[in-house]
This record gives sequence, C-alpha cells and structure tokens, in this order.
Amino acid sequence: MTKAIDEVQVKETVLSIDQLTLEFPGQAPLATISWTVHLGQQVALLGKSGSGKSTLLTRIIRGSSSIQCQTQRIAYLSQQPALLPWVSVLDNILLGFTLRGETIVSKHLERAHQLLIDVDLCGFQDQKTKYLSGGEKSRVALARALIEDADLLLLDEPFAALDRSTKIHMTQLCNTLFANKTVILVTHDPRDALSWLDTAMVLTSHGLRGPFDLADFQDDHALIQALDGDL
Amino acid sequence: MKRVLAYLLPVMLLIAIWWSTVILFEIPHFILPAPDRVAAVLFDRFILISAHATTTALEIVCGLFLGSILGFTVACLIGDSKRLQSITIPALVISQALPVFAIAPILMLWLGYGFASKLAMTSLIVFFPVTASTLAGFRALPESWDTTFQTLRPRRVKLFFYVRLPLAVPYTLSGVRVAASVAPIGAIVGEWVGSSSGLGYLMLQANARGQTDLMFAALVVLCAEALMIWSVSNRISLRFDQKYSANV
Repeated sequence: MTKAIDEVQVKETVLSIDQLTLEFPGQAPLATISWTVHLGQQVALLGKSGSGKSTLLTRIIRGSSSIQCQTQRIAYLSQQPALLPWVSVLDNILLGFTLRGETIVSKHLERAHQLLIDVDLCGFQDQKTKYLSGGEKSRVALARALIEDADLLLLDEPFAALDRSTKIHMTQLCNTLFANKTVILVTHDPRDALSWLDTAMVLTSHGLRGPFDLADFQDDHALIQALDGDL
Repeated sequence: MKRVLAYLLPVMLLIAIWWSTVILFEIPHFILPAPDRVAAVLFDRFILISAHATTTALEIVCGLFLGSILGFTVACLIGDSKRLQSITIPALVISQALPVFAIAPILMLWLGYGFASKLAMTSLIVFFPVTASTLAGFRALPESWDTTFQTLRPRRVKLFFYVRLPLAVPYTLSGVRVAASVAPIGAIVGEWVGSSSGLGYLMLQANARGQTDLMFAALVVLCAEALMIWSVSNRISLRFDQKYSANV
C-alpha cells in the first residue's frame, strides 16, 4: 500500500487546485476545495445535484488563479455531444483542427478513420450527425475528444442520457480507449464508472473528500453517507 | 389539398361574415362595399391596381431584404462583444421606440418622395427584429457546447464563422419571419406620407374621391401581397431551421 502511494506521489502533477471556491453567480459559495491530480490518475467525482461538480470542470477549462493546469490539451465530454448537425461525422471529429485553422493532412484522416473503427462507427464518416442516434452521437463526441490526444479528459456525465445497454457499451469503450489517460469523470451514479475506474472523490459542502474506493459505493447507504459528507 | 383548404377556409369564412354583415345591416356601399363590388373593381381596374401593387411589393421585398442584411450584419459585428452590445442596443431600442409616423416626414425630407424613402422606412422596421433575433441566437449557444469548443482551442474568428454564426441562423430567420409580417407597415406609411404610386397612395386617392370599393380592393391586394411575402420567407426559413438547428 505504501509503495502504491509512493508511486503516485512521484508521478507528474497534471492539475493542482488550491483553495478554489465554487459558487454560482449571485449565490452563496458551495464549497472551497484543494486537489492535486497526477498524470495517469483516473477518478470518479461524485456529489449531489448542485454540489458544484460541473462548475468545477468548467472552472478547470476556463482557468482561475487558484488552478494550476500543466497542460492546455484538455478534452471535455458532456451530456450534450455538441456536434454540428450540418457537417459530416468525419468533419465533426476533425472540428478541432478546423477551428484552430490547422491543415488537415493524411495522418489526421488516418487517425480519424481508426477512431471511427474504435468507436464502432466504421462507414459512418460521411453521414450528417443529425441522423445519428443518441449513442452514436456520444461515440462521435468520444472520437473527437480522442483525436485531440489530450493530456486531461474531463467527462461531465457524458452518458447520463443514454439507455443502460448503450451506457455499458460506452463505458467499455472508455475502459479501452482511455487507458493511460488522466481522467476525471463527474457522475451521480457510481455504477457508471465501476467497470473502468477504481477511485472516487466526493464533493460536498464541506469540501472535496477522498480518495475512496469506488466499489464501496455499490452500497446505497455508503453512497448517501458519502454524499452527505458523513464518511 | 388539405393545405389549400387550410388557407382558403379562413378567407372564405371572413368573406362570408363580411358579406352577411353588409346584407343584414344594409350597410351602404360607400361605408362598407360588399365583396362582389370589390371583386368587380379588382377585375375592372386590374391594370391600375396591379401597377400600384407592383410598386408596393417592390418596396416591401427590397426593404425586407435590405433591412434583414443590415440587421444581420450589425448583429454579427456586435455579437461577439458584450461592450459593443451595451453601447449599440440602447440606440437600436430608441430607433424602435419612435413611431414610424414620426420618422416618415424626416425621411421624406432627406430621401425625397420616391422609392428610397419607402425602402428606408421598410428597412428600419425590419432591421430591429432581425438584429434582436440574431443576437438571441448568439446567446443561445448552450454552455456545455461553448465549454466543449473552448477545449478545442479555437481561433476566435473560426469559431464565430464555423460554429456560432450557423447556429444563430435559425434565430435570424425567425426574426425575418416576424419582420416579413410588419414590413408592409413601413411601405404603406411611407406612401401615405408622400408618394406618387403604391397601394397606400391609391388608398389615399380613393378615400379622397369616396371610392370606398377601390380602397377595399387595394386593401385586399395588400393583404394578399403580405401573405405571399410572409409565406415565402416562412418556407425559406423553415428549410434553414432544419439544417442549422442545434436541437437535433
């Protein structure tokens, strides 16, 4: 156990948050948190609705004096896949290159086609995304996040709107495709993360608690206690 | 067939009420002419009415086009800057708060009694709904979308033209639909204040000569024009709505 902790401590820090106050505009502060995330760490961020989980991810992306992020290469996936309905699946995956004004070369196209295979969307490249199902759209968004080769993946309940079987499929994909990546997954339901994440942090009004063993939260009582800040 | 009936039924109902009111209350034709008298005038004076109708239609269509282009352009110029919006929007609101009738004589003085002053009046009426709707479109980008695009480290100009502008298009077109229904007001008011042709001018002349049936004929043609212009803009906007709507 001590050895495992030492291994984590020598790893490079990707994200360092020091006394960040989470608040909605015009409302009382939700919590003040400090947190260090290391390279390769994969963690589920649990919390009640309105506890500030999504706000935390947004603050990480938009930046703050209390947040030191060692990378600009951040990928973000939310419940809404944010796909442009008037362009094709392939163009949506390559959107980052287009928006940065970078020339799309053959290696980008090869990578995009490989990702389409990885997310089981082979043959969909020319389809407009408005004709895709919810699960297919989520997979396109996943491919778009992966092509950016980000150092830090922030996932804000990306599969919450999907049915159970599609959700299981998506978590299996994440388990394979996010190996060795640094991941923070915001979720209400620990079951969404159990198959691919081990640790959890819990955001309460008292601050950020953890790390906990995610498997402990299979028991509803333990989960409720943790969310209330009593663990 | 059903769609044609849906359009025709309310018109037929309106004509029936109109006609029965004239017959039941024995209203003299110089107060309210019966639909058959109006139809007869439409037929007899077709060339005169259609010449004036063409002028008004041109004023409405050109004003709608110019006002929409100006409204869209202004919204694009200020859409990305909250500071510019806070400076510009009060001026836009003031331009709408002033009654069209109050501005019309000034525009006549500046632009003359010809086509230009009517074009300006119509454009002025059209301008605000298009600007306001387009700005609403820029603000309607869901926060999660905005956050997602920020992580792609976009160039501001690319993000604007590739994402924000197309997503605002359905809102712009919704503004154009509203504008199309009020555009005839600009043209007609302009013609009333000073002109030598157009349906507004024809109505004024007919009123002065006690030709109520001609006045009503001009009004019927104006209604038909307004409906046609609105339905064309509605059709165009619905096509783009489906293409660019983010809610798909």
